[in-house]
Amino acid sequence: MQPYLAQALDASSTFAGAGVGWIDALRRAGADAYGEHGLPRRRDEYWRYTSLNALLDEGFQLSEAAPAIGLPTLPHPSVAGLATYRVVLVNGRVQPKLCALDGMPDDVLISGLEDLLAAAPDRLEPYLGQIAPLEDMPMAALNTAFLQDGMAIFIGENIILDKPVHLISITAPGEGAMMVQPRHLVVMGQGAQATLIETHITATGGSSFNNIVTEMQLAEGAKLNHFVFQEEADTSVHLSGTAVSLAAGSFYDSFVLQSGAAIGRSEIRAYLNGPGVDCRLDGVYLATGKQVVDNTTYVEHAAPECRSRQVYKGVLDGQARGVFQGKVHVMRDAQKTDGNQLSRALLLSPRAEIDARPELEIYADDVKCSHGATAGELDEDALFYLLSRGIPQATARRMLIEAFLSEAIAEIPLQPVAEDFSTHVRQWLAGHIDQPADGAGS
Amino acid sequence: MALLEIRNLHATVDGKAILKGLNLTIDAGEVHAIMGPNGSGKSTLSYVLTGRAGYEVTDGEILFDGKDVIEMDPDERAREGVFLAFQYPVEIPGVTSMTFLRTAVNAVREHRGESVFDPMDFVKYVRERATDLNISDDMLKRAVNVGFSGGEKKRMEMLQMASLEPRIAILDETDSGLDIDALKVVADGVNAMRSPERGMLLITHYQRLLDYIVPDHVHVLANGQIVKSGDKALALELEEKGYAEFLENAA
Repeated sequence: MQPYLAQALDASSTFAGAGVGWIDALRRAGADAYGEHGLPRRRDEYWRYTSLNALLDEGFQLSEAAPAIGLPTLPHPSVAGLATYRVVLVNGRVQPKLCALDGMPDDVLISGLEDLLAAAPDRLEPYLGQIAPLEDMPMAALNTAFLQDGMAIFIGENIILDKPVHLISITAPGEGAMMVQPRHLVVMGQGAQATLIETHITATGGSSFNNIVTEMQLAEGAKLNHFVFQEEADTSVHLSGTAVSLAAGSFYDSFVLQSGAAIGRSEIRAYLNGPGVDCRLDGVYLATGKQVVDNTTYVEHAAPECRSRQVYKGVLDGQARGVFQGKVHVMRDAQKTDGNQLSRALLLSPRAEIDARPELEIYADDVKCSHGATAGELDEDALFYLLSRGIPQATARRMLIEAFLSEAIAEIPLQPVAEDFSTHVRQWLAGHIDQPADGAGS
Repeated sequence: MALLEIRNLHATVDGKAILKGLNLTIDAGEVHAIMGPNGSGKSTLSYVLTGRAGYEVTDGEILFDGKDVIEMDPDERAREGVFLAFQYPVEIPGVTSMTFLRTAVNAVREHRGESVFDPMDFVKYVRERATDLNISDDMLKRAVNVGFSGGEKKRMEMLQMASLEPRIAILDETDSGLDIDALKVVADGVNAMRSPERGMLLITHYQRLLDYIVPDHVHVLANGQIVKSGDKALALELEEKGYAEFLENAA
């Protein structure tokens, strides 16, 4: 049997919604799809550069009860100062005492998934498991077999949500090696607008495997800004799979900042199903030591006159490895598609590595698409220029790296988040770029 | 003690000998001009003095205030008071000119044991100098040299010099790419910096610059050595006769 499948089959009979026909069927479909495929391997198209061998021996156990912990100080300042609706997960389970959901407008529901599975499963049925394709996302299939808790958001037609939703996901592994399988759902009605911010962190302890799946559906003209901050511990495997279904005229803007985890992966699959969709997938990553940071995207242009743009920029030091795999798939009817993708990596050490594979697959004839990937070291001319003005080597290097990343961060439309991400980048650089590279500049 | 003393300097770039026994002494308060044909080693000299990677000193000495410069990193030399105005100033996207200037000036001031500026005070400090060079606030808010015209880049070099207050300023082909009006602004900037404590080294191919910045001494660099020295009259002579004489000698 595939790793973790027995755990899923054992546990899920006790989960909320067990006995409800479609929920049982969905969990079983997840188990079947995962059982057939198993853990992704390098021969899988979307897993070519990221190995999950660390998971093979089934060392991770599903968290039973989440420990009672207070809301930790988040590892960065200003989002805490932003008024938000707050949903807090500890070990994949919603902690009602830590959430702040007062004053939700009519026709808005922000809830724990488990509560809805128990109390109002009909509300979930049209969406759950309908957006993420289990056959293309084996880890989503595994997550579906473990379907239990997470966050669900429903925003009614033409509602402009007054505050961002902040999802804080804390993994607290205790002493052992712990697995969590959170599942999130975002459903936005026609013309609805919202902002979702996610923070992923780890409490100190043993190792953890965090397998997150998020499904999102945006109706006509809906608008979602989505900011993800992944700063899990270096004892964590963080795999996030997001599938977004986008109807005509909708807007989805995602920005993922990853600097944590031993393996940190963000996979986003966006389905542009109606004309006039605007979809932006951006990201910044910072990695050192032996970290692996993976950004994988799939953008399917199924309708005409849609626009998609991807810009991923990262800094790799030590023996860190970055992965960018992005595919823009333009179907036959998707005329006037404007699609582009760009991966730029800065390699700060001779042992750092980036595997970049931008890909266009185009079946329509009237499209404007581009892709590109660059990888390089710090610009020697720029570095010497700064040094020649008396700026110390480490400061000069930090300035150039920050400048490289700030262009991407400047695209974030929500100012407090942009500032927050900039602060994090500066702090990371201050902590990691303190020694001059061997022999550079002398 | 001389401000800058270069003795028997030999330097290579990519293993190729470029400077072959160069001697030069600059006292505080003096302006020296080095003129020479293309490929004579003028730019190499400026990079060797500022410590650029890839420019290797194989023999000789460079003493700045009696201190051995060759052992110093480029940023250390700059903090000690060596400044190079680049022939081709480098564009740095994502770093504003103001931040760049403040970081540099504070690094130098800290090294000298002077107080560092907070951002507000620094704006005032820079504006005083920027106005004379016709540099707008807008330019200071923009990324370093990005989208600047040739003249704007050279004026920004002058602003950096005025802000850093170096002990010795090396100006590498500062006149290149400038029209006559821009040249005058730059020359005024340089002349304003002349002082009894400061030395200057102008590196130029053409005599034109020296009409506006009148040097105390003129040297001819050919084939990696100073082959002739004189006063400003030598520059005029070169303008008339060209460098043919020295190229033949070198051959």
